Amino acid sequence: MEGASYARMPRVKIRELKDDYAKFELRDTDASIANALRRVMIAEVPTIAIDLVEIEVNSSVLNDEFIAHRLGLIPLTSERAMSMRFSRDCDACDGDGQCEFCSVEFHLRVKCMTDQTLDVSSKDLYSSDHSVVPVDFSDPAATDSSENRGVIIVKLRRGQELRLRAIARKGIGKDHAKWSPAATVTFMYEPEIHINEDLMETLTLEEKREWVDSSPTRVFDIDPVTQQVMVVDSEAYSYDDEVIKKAEAMGKPGLVEIIAKQDSFIFTVESTGAIKASQLVLNAIEILKQKLDAVRLSEDTVEADDQFGELGAHMRGG
Amino acid sequence: MNAPDRYERFVVPEGTKKVSYERDTKIINAASFTVEREEHTIGNILRMQLHRDPNVLFAGYKLPHPLQYKIIVRIHTTSQSSPMQAYNQSINDLDRELDHLKNAFEAEMLKFSRDY
Repeated sequence: MEGASYARMPRVKIRELKDDYAKFELRDTDASIANALRRVMIAEVPTIAIDLVEIEVNSSVLNDEFIAHRLGLIPLTSERAMSMRFSRDCDACDGDGQCEFCSVEFHLRVKCMTDQTLDVSSKDLYSSDHSVVPVDFSDPAATDSSENRGVIIVKLRRGQELRLRAIARKGIGKDHAKWSPAATVTFMYEPEIHINEDLMETLTLEEKREWVDSSPTRVFDIDPVTQQVMVVDSEAYSYDDEVIKKAEAMGKPGLVEIIAKQDSFIFTVESTGAIKASQLVLNAIEILKQKLDAVRLSEDTVEADDQFGELGAHMRGG
Repeated sequence: MNAPDRYERFVVPEGTKKVSYERDTKIINAASFTVEREEHTIGNILRMQLHRDPNVLFAGYKLPHPLQYKIIVRIHTTSQSSPMQAYNQSINDLDRELDHLKNAFEAEMLKFSRDY
């Protein structure tokens, strides 16, 4: 029975690609794949985040668990995460953070000695691994680097001190949102807009203007020369049906037809900075492949059924 | 205090099978696959891929309860195929599709970095 394949060959077109942002078109597949990718990007692509905090001294205004929570939410550069081990299935250590395969150690020691408030930020965290550090959000174009501090953890006044040891581990968003590499991941069906030109020409310029303005987003406009209604940005359409209702209210049903193409999607991916947006998409595909591999039937299940199957065939008189 | 560990949602407990298979006792060529620690992500792509197979008469999945971390995929096929065969093929086809998608995305990235 080998040979028959119902696999599709999706097409991809990247529209925009920055370190923490990607916009691309995905075609020739269905919503289940698009949604699976979205779900995996949000909840199942691993990153590294602080998971264990040992506080030595904390005389700040925030309590220990509050600070531990804030530390957990700081994005750390996680290119290593895909090849790292989860500490729960690391056999080289007992998960105490001394293991290079599953954890990274951080230290923070700050004391305010002046009358000016001291901001403690992610820049004060010292990592034991130079590849896993707090994400640098500073604008590379900005010349004034002194103002570019990291994520503020707490503020200290004179005499207050914060000293701690933290252990970062690999994890996934399903476990805790701090491990999610995605800020937002969305996809929309690509709209296909057909204007009934003949019916449109029965409208006066004023009516056309009124109809164009009925859309909450700027999808249509009027050509200043020909005075014809045209589509300026089909993707601005939010499937709100306002223009369709407006056409009906004006007594012109069928003025416009808008179809959501069932096999074309426009993805927007925003990363927290832990991994690049493009890498996030690639990792999501990889994770989805691994998940599929894990749900393959095991040999013993197949064997057990073969025996049972023969018996069943006999019983059915085969 | 007595909250279950969060990882219980996605780590298959020791001694439990990831996928178990159960034939339907009344209908020939019908079966249910119970997949542990999976949800809509896998359930829906499997279901939609099974629908593309003309030998599949019925394919559906359910998440019985949000606190039972498993899905049940039910497949009924024609006599030309079997639920197990359809299940395996759908995984192979999805795997192939994702391989293609990965290559397509990487090729686009390369093209994109060259063009801009």
